[in-house]
Amino acid sequence: MAKVGVYVCHCGSNIAGVIDVEAVRAFAETLPDVVVSRKDLFMCSDSGQELIKQDIKDGVVDRVVVAACTPRTHEPIFRGVCESAGLNKYLFEMANIRDQSSWVHPQDPSGATEKAKMVVSSAVGKAARLKPLEDKFVDVTQKAMVVGGGVGGIFSALELANMGYKTYLVEKDPSIGGVMAQLDKTFPTNDCSACILTPVMVEAGSHPNIELMTYSEIDDVEGFIGNYNVKVRRKQTYIDWKKCTGCGACVDVCPGKAPDKFDAGLSKRSAAYIHFPQAVPKKAVVDMDSCLNCAGRKIGSEPKTSKKTGEPMYAPCEKACPADAVDRSINYNPEGEIVEVDVGTIVVATGYKVMEKDCFKELAPQHSNVMTALQLERLISATGPTGGKLLKPSNNEKPKTINFVSCVGSRDVNHHTYCSRVCCMYMIKQARLLKEKYPDLDIYMHFIDVRTAGKDYDEYYTGARRMGINFLKGKVGSIQTLDDDKMRVVAYDMEHGENVEIESDMVILATAIEQTESAKGLAQKLGLQFDGSGFFKEMHPKLGPVETATQGIYLAGCCQGPKDIPDTVSQAKGAAAAAAVPLAQGKVKIEPIISEVHAEKCSGCGICVPLCPYSAISMKTFADRPRAEIDITQCKGCGVCTATCPSAAIVLHGYEEEQIMAQIAALTS
Amino acid sequence: MAIQLSKDKIDEAINTIIEYGGDGIQRCVQCGACSSVCPGVQAGFPVLCRLLIKKLQDGLLEDIIEEQSSWGCQNCNRCTEVCPQGVRPQEVVIAFRRYQANELAFSTSTVSAQMQLHDIGHAVFTEAGELREGVGLPGKAPTSAYNEKAQEEIQAILDNSPMAELGLF
Ligand SMILES: Cc1cc2nc3c(=O)[nH]c(=O)nc-3n(C[C@H](O)[C@H](O)[C@H](O)COP(=O)(O)OP(=O)(O)OC[C@H]3O[C@@H](n4cnc5c(N)ncnc54)[C@H](O)[C@@H]3O)c2cc1C
Ligand code: SF4
Ligand code: SF4
Ligand code: SF4
Ligand code: SF4
Repeated sequence: MAKVGVYVCHCGSNIAGVIDVEAVRAFAETLPDVVVSRKDLFMCSDSGQELIKQDIKDGVVDRVVVAACTPRTHEPIFRGVCESAGLNKYLFEMANIRDQSSWVHPQDPSGATEKAKMVVSSAVGKAARLKPLEDKFVDVTQKAMVVGGGVGGIFSALELANMGYKTYLVEKDPSIGGVMAQLDKTFPTNDCSACILTPVMVEAGSHPNIELMTYSEIDDVEGFIGNYNVKVRRKQTYIDWKKCTGCGACVDVCPGKAPDKFDAGLSKRSAAYIHFPQAVPKKAVVDMDSCLNCAGRKIGSEPKTSKKTGEPMYAPCEKACPADAVDRSINYNPEGEIVEVDVGTIVVATGYKVMEKDCFKELAPQHSNVMTALQLERLISATGPTGGKLLKPSNNEKPKTINFVSCVGSRDVNHHTYCSRVCCMYMIKQARLLKEKYPDLDIYMHFIDVRTAGKDYDEYYTGARRMGINFLKGKVGSIQTLDDDKMRVVAYDMEHGENVEIESDMVILATAIEQTESAKGLAQKLGLQFDGSGFFKEMHPKLGPVETATQGIYLAGCCQGPKDIPDTVSQAKGAAAAAAVPLAQGKVKIEPIISEVHAEKCSGCGICVPLCPYSAISMKTFADRPRAEIDITQCKGCGVCTATCPSAAIVLHGYEEEQIMAQIAALTS
Repeated sequence: MAIQLSKDKIDEAINTIIEYGGDGIQRCVQCGACSSVCPGVQAGFPVLCRLLIKKLQDGLLEDIIEEQSSWGCQNCNRCTEVCPQGVRPQEVVIAFRRYQANELAFSTSTVSAQMQLHDIGHAVFTEAGELREGVGLPGKAPTSAYNEKAQEEIQAILDNSPMAELGLF
C-alpha cells in the first residue's frame, strides 16, 4: 500500500485569500492511501520543504502530493526535495490549486475550496499509483551555433568561443554586424558605432573557435538538446570567396544597380558589391537580380569572341578582378550549397527590422524629405551616401528646420501596442549630434512622453534640453506637403493646450521596431514560439529570459523584444552562458516521462509511426515481425502514440493508464 | 484653485460618457494627436478632444457643463483616424454633447440652429434667391424652406422625437 503525504500551501494570500486551506487539508486526510496531511504558509520555503523531508526520512510517507501553485515553476523544486530525502523524485505529484482554483474563482471562495479538494483527490489518486523512474543521459556534441550575426550574435559567439567551444556563426547577409554596423554614433556616450563594433567583428572573424557562415541561412534542423544536426544553406555568391580579397575592383567597374540596403535605400549599389566598407568577412557578392550579364556573359556560358579583335570577351567584373575570383564560365548552382553541422546548443540572435515610412499615410511618406530614423542614421554617417553631411534628399541643400516624430507605429493600436524602447534615446542622440555639428539648425522633437530609463540616459536627455533642442509634448497627427521642399508639421503642444504648426525642411519618423520576416520559418524549424507582440517567446518573462520552450535553444537581442545595445550585449552573454551549460556537462538528461513500446503486445500495425509529431517512432524487426520502437532522444512525452495504439502496447511513463483512470475516478465519484 | 479629485465625481463622469457612447474614454493616454488635427481646436475651441477627455477623466463633468468647445466639433472624425489608442475621441465629444443637451446646457448657437430646423427644416439657412437667379436658377430652391407641407412634416417628426422633450420648440 502506498503511503501518500499531502502538503497544502497557503502561498501567502495567493491561495489562502480565497480557499479554506484547513478544509482542504482536513479533506485530504480522509482520502484513501493518505497517511498524513499538513499545511504551511509557504510550502516552497525552507520550513515547508523540511516538513516533507522529515516525513520521508521518518518513513511516514513514500508518495508526495503538494497542493500549491504551478508545476511549471515548482515541480522541479519539490522533486528535488523528495530526492534529497532519499525518495525517487518521480513519486511526486503536484496539485495546482492556485491557477486552477484560487486565481480563477476569486469571487466564489466556497466553490473554489470544493474544486481544490477535487484537484487534490485527483492528484492523490494518481500519486498512489506512481512508479519510480530513472533519468537517462546521452552524450552532447560540444559545439554551438549562433544564428544571426548582429551585435547580439557576435557577443554570444565570442563568449562561447572564449569558453573553448567551437561555434558556428550563421548570418544571412554577406557580413556580420547587423543594424549596429549601420549606426553612426551610439547613445549615451556618442562613441562611433563602427569604431567600437569593428574590432569585435574582426575578433569574431579571426577567432580560432568561430567559424563564420555568412550569406547563409538555416535550411533544416533535426535532433534535440545536445545533439542538433543543422543543414545550413550557403547562398550562392557567384564569386570564389577563397580567392576574393575584398579589393573592390569588381564593384568599381560594375554598372548593374540596385537600392543599397545597408544605406537604408538612400543610395544605390552595384550588382557586384561588398556589404559595407568594414565588412567581415570582406568579400564581394554578385546579386543576380540586378546583374546585367555584361558582354553577354550569362553565368555558366563560354565567353563570346570579339569580331574586331578575335579575343574572348569578358564581363567588366571578370576583367577587373586581380585575384581571378570572378569566373562567369562556371555553371554555379543558384541554390548554393548545403553544409551540415552538428552542434549541442543553438543561440538565436536574428534581431529586428524597422517599419517603413510608407505604412503611415498621414505623415506624408511620399515626400522625399520625410525619412525614417534609420535612414537619417545613414545620412549622418561618415560612410553614408553624403559622407556624413546633412543634406535634404529633395535638392541636396542643408535643411534649416528638422522635426522628429516619436512613436510612429509603436504604442499604437493600429500597428504595435508595445514601446520600441530605443526610439526616444536615438532621437535625442540624432538631435544632439546634429545640434553639435550645425548649431543653427532648428530642431523640434514631438513626444507622447520621453522614456529614458537606462543608466546615464536621463542626463543625456536633460543635456539635450540645455543644448536648445525644443521638446514638445504631443503627438504629431499630420504632415502637410507645402511644396517639393517644405512641409507643415501639424502638432499639439500639450503644456500649452494649443495647436502648433511648424514649417519644416525635414521630418524624421521614429518607426517601430518589429520582428523580421524570416522569423516565422525559423520558428518552425527550431520549435520557437511567439509572444503577443510577435517577438520570440522566452521560457519565462522573469526567470527564464534567455531560455525557450525548446531545450537547447536560447535567445539574445532584439529577436526576443526591442532593446538597446547594452541590453542586447548583456542578454547575449547570458544566452551564451546558458548555452554553454549542457556543453560543459558533456551529457544531457532525458527525463523518463516518455513513451515506451511493449514489443510483445505490439501488432506491428504502424498506426503510431505517422502520428508522432516528433518522428520518434520507427518500425524495427523483432522475432521476424515488424514492431514499433521509440527513440528516447526524440520522444517528448506528448502521448499521442499512447492514446492511438489499438493494442495498448505503448505506455507513457508517469501517465500510465491505471494512473489516469484513478484521476478520473477521483474527479467523477 | 486646485482641482478637487474625487472618486465619485470621476466615476460619474466616466460612466455618463460611456453611457452616452464614448466608451473609449478610459483608453486615452493624453498624447494629443487628436487635438493636433482637430479643426475645432484649430479654430480656438480649447476644450476639445484631448483636453475635454482629460477634464472628464478628472471628474469635471458638471464643472464644464456650460463649455462651448464641444459644439465646435465638426464630426470630421480625423481624431478617430489618428488616435493611437483607439479612443474614438469624436464619440467622447458627442457623448459629452449628449449629456449637455440632456441637461439643457446647450450652446446658444445650437439653440437657434435647432429652432430654425424646427421652423424651416434647415439648421443653417441663408437666403440665396438673388444669387440663384443671377446664375439662371429659380430663386426658390426646391427645399422645405419654401414648402409649408414639408415644414409641417418636419415639425411633426421633431415634435414626436426625444428632441421635443428638451422644450426648445
Ligand atoms: C535608428 C536606430 C538607432 C539606434 N541607435 C542606437 C544607439 O545609439 N545605441 C544603442 O544602444 N542602440 C541603438 N539602436 C538599437 C540597436 O540597433 C539594437 O539594440 C541592436 O542592433 C540589436 O542587435 P541584435 O543583434 O539583436 O539585432 P540586429 O542588429 O538586427 O542583428 C541581427 C542579425 O541577424 C541577421 N539575421 C536575421 N535573420 C536571420 C536569419 N533568419 N538567419 C541568419 N541571420 C539572420 C541579420 O542580418 C542581422 O545581421 C538603434 C536602433 C535604430 C533603429
Ligand atoms: S556581369 Fe559583372 S560587372 Fe556586369 S553587372 Fe554583372 S556583376 Fe556587374
Ligand atoms: S509520446 Fe509523442 S513524441 Fe513520444 S513517441 Fe509518442 S507521439 Fe512521439
Ligand atoms: S471629429 Fe470633432 S473632435 Fe474629432 S477632430 Fe473632428 S472636429 Fe475635432
Ligand atoms: S489621440 Fe487618442 S490617446 Fe491621444 S489624446 Fe487623443 S484620444 Fe487620447
